[in-house]
Amino acid sequence: MELANLQELLNSALKDISEAKNSDDINNIRNAYLSKKSALMSMFSLLGKMDPEQRKEAGKEINDVKVAISEKLEEKQKDILAKELEEKLNKEKIDISLPGRDFSLGGKNPFHIIIDEMTDIFLGMGFEVCNGPEVETDNYNFELLNIPRDHPARDMQDTFYIDENTLLRTHTSPVQARTMERKGGKPIKMIAPGKTYRRDDDDATHSHQFAQIEGLVIDKDINIGHLKATLELFARKMFGEGREIRLRSSFFPFTEPSVEVDISCMNCGGKGCSMCKGTGWIEILGGGMVHPNVLKMNGYDPDKYSGFAFGIGIERVAMLRYGIDDIRKFYTNDVRFLHQFKKKI
Amino acid sequence: MLVSLKALRQYVSLDGLNEEEIAKGLTFAGVEVEDIERMASGTNLVIGEILECENHPDSDHLHVLKVNLGDKYGVEQIVCGAPNARKGLKVIVARVGAKLPQVEIKKGVIRGVESNGMCCSLLELGVDSKYLSEKQTSGIEELPLDAPVGEEDVLGYLGLDDIVLNLNVLANRPDLLSLFNVAREVGAIFSREVKLPSFEGIENFKTDLTVGSKTKRCTQFAGKEIKGLVIKESPDWMKSFLQSMGVRSINNLVDIGNYVMLMTGQPLHMYDADKLPVHALEARDDYQGPFVALDEKTYDVLPNDIVIASDNKPMCLGGVMGSLACAVDEKTTHLYIESASFDGASIRRTSNRLGLASESSSRFVKGTNHFQSEYVINMASKLVKDLCEGKEFSNIVNYQIEKAEQKVISSSVKRINNRLGTSFSKEEIEAVLTRLNFKVEMNKDETFKVTVPLYRLDVTCDADLSEEVIRLLGLEHVKSELPCLDTTLGALSLEQTRIRNIRNYLLDKGLDECLTYSLVSEKEASKMNLLNEEEKYVLLNPLTDEHSTFRSHVLHSLLKVANYNVSRQAKSLALFEVSNVQTKQSASTHLAIVLLGNDYSRGLMEKIPYDFYHMKGIVEGMMENLGLEVSRYKFERLNNHLDELHPGKSAGLYFQNKLIGVLGELHPNKINEYDLGKNPVIVLELRLDELVSSKVSVNKMKPIHRFPFVTRDLAFIIDKDVEAKDIIKAIRLVGKGIVTNAEVFDVYEGEHVQEGKKSLAISLTYQKEDATLTEKEVSDAEDKIKFELLKTFHAELRM
Repeated sequence: MELANLQELLNSALKDISEAKNSDDINNIRNAYLSKKSALMSMFSLLGKMDPEQRKEAGKEINDVKVAISEKLEEKQKDILAKELEEKLNKEKIDISLPGRDFSLGGKNPFHIIIDEMTDIFLGMGFEVCNGPEVETDNYNFELLNIPRDHPARDMQDTFYIDENTLLRTHTSPVQARTMERKGGKPIKMIAPGKTYRRDDDDATHSHQFAQIEGLVIDKDINIGHLKATLELFARKMFGEGREIRLRSSFFPFTEPSVEVDISCMNCGGKGCSMCKGTGWIEILGGGMVHPNVLKMNGYDPDKYSGFAFGIGIERVAMLRYGIDDIRKFYTNDVRFLHQFKKKI
Repeated sequence: MLVSLKALRQYVSLDGLNEEEIAKGLTFAGVEVEDIERMASGTNLVIGEILECENHPDSDHLHVLKVNLGDKYGVEQIVCGAPNARKGLKVIVARVGAKLPQVEIKKGVIRGVESNGMCCSLLELGVDSKYLSEKQTSGIEELPLDAPVGEEDVLGYLGLDDIVLNLNVLANRPDLLSLFNVAREVGAIFSREVKLPSFEGIENFKTDLTVGSKTKRCTQFAGKEIKGLVIKESPDWMKSFLQSMGVRSINNLVDIGNYVMLMTGQPLHMYDADKLPVHALEARDDYQGPFVALDEKTYDVLPNDIVIASDNKPMCLGGVMGSLACAVDEKTTHLYIESASFDGASIRRTSNRLGLASESSSRFVKGTNHFQSEYVINMASKLVKDLCEGKEFSNIVNYQIEKAEQKVISSSVKRINNRLGTSFSKEEIEAVLTRLNFKVEMNKDETFKVTVPLYRLDVTCDADLSEEVIRLLGLEHVKSELPCLDTTLGALSLEQTRIRNIRNYLLDKGLDECLTYSLVSEKEASKMNLLNEEEKYVLLNPLTDEHSTFRSHVLHSLLKVANYNVSRQAKSLALFEVSNVQTKQSASTHLAIVLLGNDYSRGLMEKIPYDFYHMKGIVEGMMENLGLEVSRYKFERLNNHLDELHPGKSAGLYFQNKLIGVLGELHPNKINEYDLGKNPVIVLELRLDELVSSKVSVNKMKPIHRFPFVTRDLAFIIDKDVEAKDIIKAIRLVGKGIVTNAEVFDVYEGEHVQEGKKSLAISLTYQKEDATLTEKEVSDAEDKIKFELLKTFHAELRM
């Protein structure tokens, strides 16, 4: 072996490296130039026969060539690996427009969206949620709410009877009486969402089954202003910050004074449109101050306590919010209708 | 209650107020005006006279008229199709440009002949056909011969220039079923003076009529005798008043009864005095037997119905309807007038039971003023004198057991303002109550006493006074202020939270949440009763058979929803509903689920047909959601509901050894019955009460295993009927302390497996808490397991 070949060897290796195309080429080059049996490596074995002076110099020269080849080879290998990976990834390209997996979310009947949302609003104000049976007694549904037997106010709510004393509740108000009974004269802040029934023929705006949220607050010094502010908060949360509410006198046997509550039209903002029949206002619920007779009958001293109560129609709110034109749609459960209501907020 | 503004104007000034303003004032004061109606309407109207009437050359029914419209408009040619058009007739003409309720009149050419206007019927001016004769509705209106040609205020001439408010009178204000009281109300709302007429009594002989009551249900009964009257048609003013108030004219006497009732709110009854057995009328409630009423029908009268009897014979079903026997007719000349007060509840029961509701009975039901009979009878007498030529009038005989005592209510400015959230002054409160005819005695310390007028039956306590104040002064004065109460925790109860969580879990799993009716038909109520057969609530008075029974289960309703959707091309459904159900024995909350077709949650490319295991998985996930461990519930094969569910693919869900749910594939016969297509349908009915109220301990963290685990798979052939749960139970028992998990990862039947056998593959995890496992420990455990499976289940190991 001649040391004089070193430069030639280096040139040849660099040429091979620059022409390498893939990992195999790299491996071949490494074998050819850097393996133990390669020409370069075998030169190291010649060093032992040289005199020390010469050996040192020759050793350095060989090593320099080796390092130069190794470095170039490493560099080239890195490039090639990067290129190969890139090619591999490019080949793995998928059609990202295909459907995702486990995407399905159930549609929630808007009736339930509204009940849950209203419940959450009042929970946020510190109300508790009370329940009562749908098959109710005459006593809770009427008598304890200041609607005695044969009172004409009973005609306001045509009733399904099971027997003389048992009926399907016509409103969620019996939960007021039940809660007052349970609280035994202590302050109350509750809502009661639930199904109610009246002897109405089903059409686009009437349903023999519908639902309400009842609200009742009893404490010392409660007045209509508290009802108004509570409902204002509710209306704004439910229908948007800009909403105003207005009260109109009305009559319910269990409240005195009684009010109907209108909210400024969410469609036109109060200017007047077809939705609010040009008035700018939409009737949304009824309420009032708990009638002193109701307090008395349910164990509260009307001279010490006062309270407000209200009842909101669930379907009505849902119909207004979502532009649903027929109350029967809630009860039909066409999945093409339900699937429009997947949004969580 | 219909209120004619023309009539109202006679008793209270409405100057400067239009109908919209009056309606708004009433509505905000709690007397809702439902509609504002015009009796008739039309512009460009004029009275004309037909000068010529020729047949249309090109029609067999049209006429060509020359109509004189007076000096201003001259003579116009009009083509008219009315059969009664003829020369000399005075008619209502809508000139070109007229706007009528239904049409706008344009100049036109009708079959080649020019026409400049239209001759009208009252129907075309918007008058309700119930007030018109057949002649009036089939042709043009025939005006009297003296009608002034050229008159342009045609509606005024006809007395139809009136606007009618339709008041929705609520149950607390029966006093407003009287025009006089509506005038008082309007006067109070708009601070206007109210002038109501007064009537002198007319009396020229003493009657031998006696009146009385043997029942507390009639507390007052006044009567008067009148002789020498003539029954005939009412004058035009009466007819047009009644028409504006929504009542048809019958004859002068009947019309007087209605007129007085509409004005005062007090219904009257008239007896033909010559037809009464004796000169005595007595209210009683002990009569029982048949009663032939004015409508010639016979009604069964029961004890507690109020009857007016004469010589023990029923002459009138008090407040509801008179008898045929003493009814006034066109020959009546001799009259007893009754003005009585009846117990509303009794009248309500009677009229509801017999299906006899009238303007009179509804006034008694809602409540009448018991202390105005003299006024009412005097008013009626005056009208009988004027309209019926009544000649002899007796004194009034009156039976009355109540004293006319006005209610006195004590209150204070502070109490009123406290209830309302307002800061009205004592002057404001005093003024507003005075406007409403309440007598106010205000004290220096701002306490006061209020005397309530007798016609205000609804005002009984100071809460009522606060309502009067606010409804007139306006609810806009209420200060909106959130209540400052003791802070309370606003949170759902445990049960409510868990129900919400279950619903959210199912929604997140892709199931649609439904809402169905609680009332089903009696037949439906017994379908798919998978959990119990308790006694159902059945309605006494259903509207339809379809909704007559309160359901005890939800699944049937949900299967109907499935049917609805399948018949509208839905191929796959995942539905659920959580609903209260109630029977005579119990009230509970049920969850029903229906799965049909394929699970598409991975898209069409990976659709998986729904089967039993989907439903089971949903339940297991739900249990995990509730924190209920596997050890607390189990699925057991069912031995009932064989007609409803697939016997091999159904199970009962037991929670703490109590059956709370049933799930499985719907029986093919049921799939047909519900018409759900060809796919399997998987159903569940589950009572949630036990689950949502169950106690769950707080999670305590367990340390994570420090030592590595080993997994080994076992596959073997066993009898088809051996259930995986038994195998796993056996493995866990034998491998206690070292086997930490055993899970089936493959089940196979078919080719290469003998008939009646199946191949089961189980993945086992071995791990020790305190040391790394050795190979030998794993092998030993595995051998023990294999031995046990061989011994107990004759499992044949596959390699």
